[in-house]
Amino acid sequence: MRKTALAMLASFTAVLLLAPALHAEDTYIHYLKNKQEPADCFESRDGYSNATRTEVEPGLPNVKCSNKTGGVLWWGDPFDGTEPMGEMPVEADYTREEAVVKPRTGQLKYYMPCTACHNGSMVPYPKNKNPRPLAMHQDIVPDSMNLQHGQGAIWCLDCHNARNRDTFIDHKGGEIGLNQPQRLCGKCHGEVYSDWRDGIHGKRIGSWEKGGKKRWWVCTECHNPHTVQERRFDPIAPEPRPQYPRTRANADHERGHGAGAGH
Amino acid sequence: MSEPRDKDEKKKDAPLKPDEASRREFLGGAGLSVTAAALSGAGALLSGSDEAEAKATWGEWFQKNYRLMTEDEKREAVLRLEKRYTEEFGKQTTVDSAPAKEGVLFGYALNIQKCIGCRRCVYACVKENNQSRDNPEIQWIRVLKMEKGNFLAGDMDKGYPDPAGIQVGGNAYKNSGVVLEGEHYYEPAEVPEKGYFYFPMQCMQCEKPPCVKVCPVRTTYRDPDGIVVIDYNWCIGCRMCIAACPYWARRFNWGEPNLPAEEMNPVTHYLGNRPRMKGVAEKCTFCLQRTRQGRYTACVEVCPVGARKFGNLLDPDSEVRKILEKKKVFRLKAELNTYPKFFYFMD
Amino acid sequence: MKPLIRFALDSVMYVARGSAIFYGWIIFLGFLSFLMLLGAYEQFTKGMIVTNYNDLVSWGLYEAQFVFLVGVAAAAVTVVFPSYVYHHKKMKEIVVLGELLAVSAVCMVMIFIMFHMGRPDRLWHLIPVIGIFNWPHSMLTWDVIVLNGYLGLNAICAFYYLFMKYTGREVNKLFYMPLVYISIVWALSIHTVTAFLINTMPSRPMWFHSMMPIKFIATAFAAGPAMIIISFLVINKFTKLKIADEAIETLAQIVTWCLGITIFLGLSEVVTELYPSTEHSFSLQYLIFGKHGLTGLVLWYWSAVVLLLAAFFMLLTPSLRKNHKLWLPLACAFTFAGVWIDKGMGLVVPAFIPSPIGEISEYAPSAIEIVNTLGGWATGLLIFTVLAKGAIGVLLGELKYRAATDLASEFSSEWQPVVHSSEEICK
Repeated sequence: MRKTALAMLASFTAVLLLAPALHAEDTYIHYLKNKQEPADCFESRDGYSNATRTEVEPGLPNVKCSNKTGGVLWWGDPFDGTEPMGEMPVEADYTREEAVVKPRTGQLKYYMPCTACHNGSMVPYPKNKNPRPLAMHQDIVPDSMNLQHGQGAIWCLDCHNARNRDTFIDHKGGEIGLNQPQRLCGKCHGEVYSDWRDGIHGKRIGSWEKGGKKRWWVCTECHNPHTVQERRFDPIAPEPRPQYPRTRANADHERGHGAGAGH
Repeated sequence: MSEPRDKDEKKKDAPLKPDEASRREFLGGAGLSVTAAALSGAGALLSGSDEAEAKATWGEWFQKNYRLMTEDEKREAVLRLEKRYTEEFGKQTTVDSAPAKEGVLFGYALNIQKCIGCRRCVYACVKENNQSRDNPEIQWIRVLKMEKGNFLAGDMDKGYPDPAGIQVGGNAYKNSGVVLEGEHYYEPAEVPEKGYFYFPMQCMQCEKPPCVKVCPVRTTYRDPDGIVVIDYNWCIGCRMCIAACPYWARRFNWGEPNLPAEEMNPVTHYLGNRPRMKGVAEKCTFCLQRTRQGRYTACVEVCPVGARKFGNLLDPDSEVRKILEKKKVFRLKAELNTYPKFFYFMD
Repeated sequence: MKPLIRFALDSVMYVARGSAIFYGWIIFLGFLSFLMLLGAYEQFTKGMIVTNYNDLVSWGLYEAQFVFLVGVAAAAVTVVFPSYVYHHKKMKEIVVLGELLAVSAVCMVMIFIMFHMGRPDRLWHLIPVIGIFNWPHSMLTWDVIVLNGYLGLNAICAFYYLFMKYTGREVNKLFYMPLVYISIVWALSIHTVTAFLINTMPSRPMWFHSMMPIKFIATAFAAGPAMIIISFLVINKFTKLKIADEAIETLAQIVTWCLGITIFLGLSEVVTELYPSTEHSFSLQYLIFGKHGLTGLVLWYWSAVVLLLAAFFMLLTPSLRKNHKLWLPLACAFTFAGVWIDKGMGLVVPAFIPSPIGEISEYAPSAIEIVNTLGGWATGLLIFTVLAKGAIGVLLGELKYRAATDLASEFSSEWQPVVHSSEEICK
């Protein structure tokens, strides 16, 4: 009996002693105290589209960002830096909606615009659409002979307009603005496009209401068409874990109980 | 008090256009037809701050259940809170009391195939909803990391042979998919990780909420737009609701909440994200301070993969209705007949 | 009015005088109660953060006491029922002590409810008319009704009986007997409703079975009479009141058979849950064997098993059961401790582990919880000691209404408790 009682007491005191230590390393409060909120934040994926933190009005920031990862965590102004989507690539009810997008051109690395160089004289127009090694832009497409999109069925100039590099090109030779990649992608990815149009695929922020103003995320704000075959998304760092319950010092017990254990 | 709100409403491109007229009217009404009680209360609040706080505390302590307040009493309670929060946090704070919109039933859909487990929704929610940041840390969304599971040829024979040597069970598929397989505190360098999927959970805004049934003082109830709300000032802290919730959606302010002034979101709603006090329960309200003004929830807006969808279940063109129409959906613990309005789906 | 005032005064005077052991006991309990007041101040000012409660295990030691003590309160019926239904003469003589134990137990229940509440200052919200009493929907409101009703019934019965005895009058059966019969049924209701309070939540599969009310009653009627027996033995040892062996034997048999039923129900639960081993049995698995390497309650559970089995076999053996010097109190203490674990740490806590979304955690009470819990018990025992001492005075005839006598002469000689030898007790 005495042993049992002693053991119980021991189990009591173990937790009593543990209780005050909250084990807050790598949690939200840790980053809040020890790291600055960045001024330049990424929206969906690091490097795809960014938002610069400002105040819309005194006390109201346009975005709040993660002290840990630098990702946008909260939208004060969902329409910061947007412009009308233009010709709505959607049907029926949606045409009456006020839709805005964040222009892609402002987020592109080499856009000055493109025709500053690709004007036929400085860089000559390509003669045909046949794959060939690239002289430039290998940071975007490292191996143009093995383009990671379309599994060999398409090549750069099936999407990029050879004659007017500030635009894309559709099947029939029509031009599509760089800020409307959805109209280009939708040519092949019809089902995803249909879901996107219905608001099922992709993302919209602003007003949930019918007819309300929404910012639509366009394809290339999340997907990189040049690497999409290698990985559909670029992985990102997760935000901090929750704190352990007051009576726990770790979460070792929850790791490695399934098939993945020991892999 | 209506000064900052008007500014807010006039803000260019503000998405908060619905009900603007009715809200103005409401506020205008507040200026004109205050009762004697409201006047004296407000008068007390305008005098010395310590005294004002003491009176605010008494006023809050004696106030009725929010749902049973008259419009005047609501207005008085809201003014009292705005005054107190503005002083406490050193920034102009508004406490909205907008009721549920007519013809709206809020619903939510989450694409578990898309979720990458980045937890940005968790902190969007924290930034929006004024949860206690530390001791206790309160988060309304919990994201679980689930193993996809595997069939292991090497374990095929490691079953449970009975004495006669006949195998009666197996271990080749180790992950049984039971609740205990989730990881709550995962912290890899990057997400998503190979071989895992992620499962966020929050309040399901049940149509038949068990938490509402068990509340002894009716401080938690379902508003007409389908949101289960809590009058934090009426809660007695008995935690029946926390025990009764099958989704572990409710959290408790074990101590006085710690909300740094610079972190505080000053746009609040009485039933939503206004700062809470110690000893009361809280949970996700679908950001009703936003959604009743037409805005998406904070977690929907921040999700980097667009896995989170929100809208009016009564509108056939809304995102959630399109999902119910086009996708296969399921609800958590459907066998409990709680009828969640939070749907999970896959592409 | 005069007899009433005299009753109050006489009682205070009578209770205030006692032996050194009595004062020592009172000081000991008072000290623990005082510590509880400090703990309560700490908890009520800082919030429940001073406990080890958390969002995973949101009910703990306080609710364990609550559930257990409601059982103890209900167990007064094990004295009342034989007295008035089977007309057990010897039991009838001391029935009021059982009722006073119920009153004390309900007081303790109220203390632990206060500690459970996050906002005790807002309890007025529960009061009908000025607040909202969500009856009949909320099970908790049913519990409020039955507990307060039970407190009232027992307080009235005990007071009326003692007052009549004090003034030397006969009880009015037309008034008294209906109350007694209502209180018998009511006693069952308090524990049934407490069982309903927790077993109507499918979110906690460990609680979600219809066996809960009967198991509650069985455990209560084992632990409650065990406590009554111990208090009777103490009364026999330290006071002039002699409680008949027949009364104690009846109670001991009630403990025995309720303990048997408790063990049987416990076994049924274990087999039903563990044979199919569904997800819903995880709480029980955690309790009995530990889960994922967390074994905080395993020792508790197996201690309870050993205590209850040992007590059962002791009580089954007539020679041990009739040994009032060692074996009966030991068996009663084992029963009490075993049920306390089984219904407390073994029932309340594991239901929260794992959480409804599968998180496993552990819980053990904090220092303040332990202080407050000990203090709560001390306060209850203090109340019981005081009430029982007064009642014994009335039963012995030492506390009697005499219109003409003055207090000074009545208590001029120091009252001394009679300490009986053990041979006398075992007779």
